[in-house]
Amino acid sequence: MTAIIRAEHVAKIFRQQVRRSGMLGPLKDFVMPVTRPVNAVDGISFDIEPGEAVGYLGPNGAGKSTMIKMLTGILAPSAGTVSVLGRNPQAQRVLNARQIGVVFGQRTQLWWELPLIESFELHRRMYRVPASVYQRNRADLVEMMELSAFIERPVRHLSLGQRMRAEIAMALMHDPKILFLDEPTIGLDVVAKDVVRKFLSRINRERGTTIILTTHDLQDIEEICPRLIMVDDGKLLFDGTIAALRVTFGARRRLTLEFAQDPGHVELDRAEPAGGEGVQRLFLLPDDQRPLLHILSALKAGADLRDVRLHEPGIEEIIRTHYQSKVSA
Amino acid sequence: MRDTLSLLFYLMRLRVRTRLEFRAALLITWLAQAFGYAGIFASIWLILTRFGTIGGWTWPQMAFLLGFHTLGYALGACFTLVQLRRMEDIVLGGEFDTLLVRPLNPWAYLVFSGFNIEYGGHIALGAGLVAWAWPQLSIAWTTDTCLLLAGGLVSAALITASMITIIAACALVLGRARYLFGIYFDFWELSRYPASIFAAPFQVALLSIIPLGYMAYVPVAVLLGRPVPYLGAFAEIAALSAGPLSAVAAFFFWRFCLKRYQGGGG
Repeated sequence: MTAIIRAEHVAKIFRQQVRRSGMLGPLKDFVMPVTRPVNAVDGISFDIEPGEAVGYLGPNGAGKSTMIKMLTGILAPSAGTVSVLGRNPQAQRVLNARQIGVVFGQRTQLWWELPLIESFELHRRMYRVPASVYQRNRADLVEMMELSAFIERPVRHLSLGQRMRAEIAMALMHDPKILFLDEPTIGLDVVAKDVVRKFLSRINRERGTTIILTTHDLQDIEEICPRLIMVDDGKLLFDGTIAALRVTFGARRRLTLEFAQDPGHVELDRAEPAGGEGVQRLFLLPDDQRPLLHILSALKAGADLRDVRLHEPGIEEIIRTHYQSKVSA
Repeated sequence: MRDTLSLLFYLMRLRVRTRLEFRAALLITWLAQAFGYAGIFASIWLILTRFGTIGGWTWPQMAFLLGFHTLGYALGACFTLVQLRRMEDIVLGGEFDTLLVRPLNPWAYLVFSGFNIEYGGHIALGAGLVAWAWPQLSIAWTTDTCLLLAGGLVSAALITASMITIIAACALVLGRARYLFGIYFDFWELSRYPASIFAAPFQVALLSIIPLGYMAYVPVAVLLGRPVPYLGAFAEIAALSAGPLSAVAAFFFWRFCLKRYQGGGG
């Protein structure tokens, strides 16, 4: 299948002013400013196939938004090439814009003072959506995102969750082939986040819309995106499935065994003891796909096992562990 | 093209609707702005009642100049000033990024979606002064004078819009541009008066790199049959072409800055 998005050795370098210290520092900065290059994106390559849902993840300053800006035509790369739907997104910005949808979690594209439906109508005109397509899409999206209760209400009277639902619905009104979302669940409550995640997952599944999502909320990625691209310091850290992420970063399942009485020394094949005493014992299991029953069969015959708990490390835990180990190193 | 024009007109309609939602506020704005300008013009009138003329210009001539200046400025500023004066916030807050992901020229979106009917007070006051002064000055109603009046006003509107666009475009590259608006309005205030009363360097500046002298002084001087320094017989053509030339310069400068845009916040 041909890639719908292709990034080849993409780099983006900004010039950042170096602030000098001391009493004369600000004066020197004013008279003779000194700048240094900052590699916001540093030689990143990836392909995205049509219909994929990809989470683009990284800490603050990792270059996530810069990459999204290059893919949406806002910025041009300093080196390398980006191609979206076979085009250079910046050189052919207007054509590109017609076939993508973009949602910025922290910036609204709705008209604040007017009823929501007016923003939809403006969107229809701007993207030249045929009337029949617009009517059908609007009806579907209003129903899926439960917008009917407030579609006639001025946007300024909507809650953040309602606005975000409306933003996403509007971004899909022209049947974009790709939907870019920059932190779409930021600031939303648990219920609103759940609605947004389920909706995006459904849109990706049913309409085949390609989704690229940047977020700090890793649950977004777990629920929407089977594939994850992780960046740090502008560099590509990982590109693959969440299962592969666990293997790559050595994340291990944690097994808790609870016995009726102290079993003494407990040994499990290829499991690393990780604490516990008395009736409770903890082990770290390698990610070798062995069934739990197989692991437990190594227990002594007389062991009076009362309870077994297996904790699968979440994506958040995996990444947090990775970044913490990086900081401490 | 037709679709784009229809969209831009729709943007203007939306903007007007949002302003009309707050009718009382709109009326107060109209009155406040008209009174604000009327106060300044009254002080000029008081000076003229004491001294008779400013640089040889009588009160009716000055009233015509002030009216022309206000009207031309309002016609350009109603499309540009309020939204483009916010350009540094638009850039630094990341709002400009949201414009670049839409299938429309971002300048056109800003200008037409920000069309401001709050300039009604300026337009009423400017048109009123021109209408009052015209018969006092015995300017003949000929095709030439009518064309110069209309063309001069369009040119003044284009100069205003161009200067504001050029300043706003600086925010795309520098991130900040508000202080430039301060400098612009300092010169803009000077351009209310006949350029001939200023020292030569100011006159040259107002007729060249800061072409605000063409907003009112040059076309009004031509209509009144007064000599224009440096321009002489070319004053009329200069008055009419200054606006379009400024617009071309603004177009290229905006494009130059847009190409160098490196994003705002986030």
